[in-house]
Amino acid sequence: MRKWIIILVIAIVVSIFGYNYIYQDHRDIESEQAEFTMTSSEINQLFSKNSTSAEQKFLNKTIEVSGLITDINSNDITIDDSVFCQFSNNLETSLDKNENIKIKGRVIGYDDLLEQVKLDQCTIINQLK
Amino acid sequence: MKKVIFLALFSISISAIAQSKYLTKTGQLNFEASVPSFEEVAAKNNAVTAILNTENGEFAALALVKGFRFKNALMEEHFNENYAESDKYPKATFKGKVDDLDFDDLSNEESNTSIDGSLTFHGVTKQVEGIPLTLKKEDEKIIISGNFKVLASDFEIEIPKIVANKLSNEVDINFRFELVKK
Repeated sequence: MRKWIIILVIAIVVSIFGYNYIYQDHRDIESEQAEFTMTSSEINQLFSKNSTSAEQKFLNKTIEVSGLITDINSNDITIDDSVFCQFSNNLETSLDKNENIKIKGRVIGYDDLLEQVKLDQCTIINQLK
Repeated sequence: MKKVIFLALFSISISAIAQSKYLTKTGQLNFEASVPSFEEVAAKNNAVTAILNTENGEFAALALVKGFRFKNALMEEHFNENYAESDKYPKATFKGKVDDLDFDDLSNEESNTSIDGSLTFHGVTKQVEGIPLTLKKEDEKIIISGNFKVLASDFEIEIPKIVANKLSNEVDINFRFELVKK
């Protein structure tokens, strides 16, 4: 009888761990500490000069980028025409073009068509006046 | 004087070229490789860049592979690490030409055409022909949508035997781009 209880407990523990492994949560970029902090033109230059080495360094990393807003839409902001930041939800701010901003997000790569670095799952760190 | 006229005409022609470009940075591209009665294998990318030149029908699109989001985080990790190898091949691109269509005739009623071009993914470039497209024009935006199928094996993506019955080699792709004049 005791043997069966032990087996049952092990089975339950294994299935809980297994379930949590298979259905683990997505990364939460918002709560992650940024690995790099730089201006939009700095990161853009690194990608435009040598995209392969920049990709090795930055892909999938959480970074903080600062600069001037050049374009703003319902869920994306472009900084200095060089970094495109996508937000998971609609933006609810009073931000406008030509305001200084600092944004945290995950680097997903370099867009050669528009020569912009793309970030996703962004959050606004602060508005610098 | 001649020089002035030339410069004037030249600058007009430049602006004419610039006006024929339509683009988006937030195009949608979804794919699905599900097998019925097994867990859904599908991802969405809402940050696809696409550019259309209405002068000559040339179209280019670029999707960053890490931008594909799955419902299941582990599936997303496996997709990036084992299948798409997005550290090595971070981009998926398409370059092509829309088959004879007069973009001036576009209206808010849908018109159908097709596009031929080359699709690059996982470091493999493949010619694709006759992808059906639906186009319409709404508030100065050109909306292009459509869907097509590709085979994972054509892009040298190996599906391990152990998951072969849960993962379809035939991948459904659908897209929608709302292009704004630039």
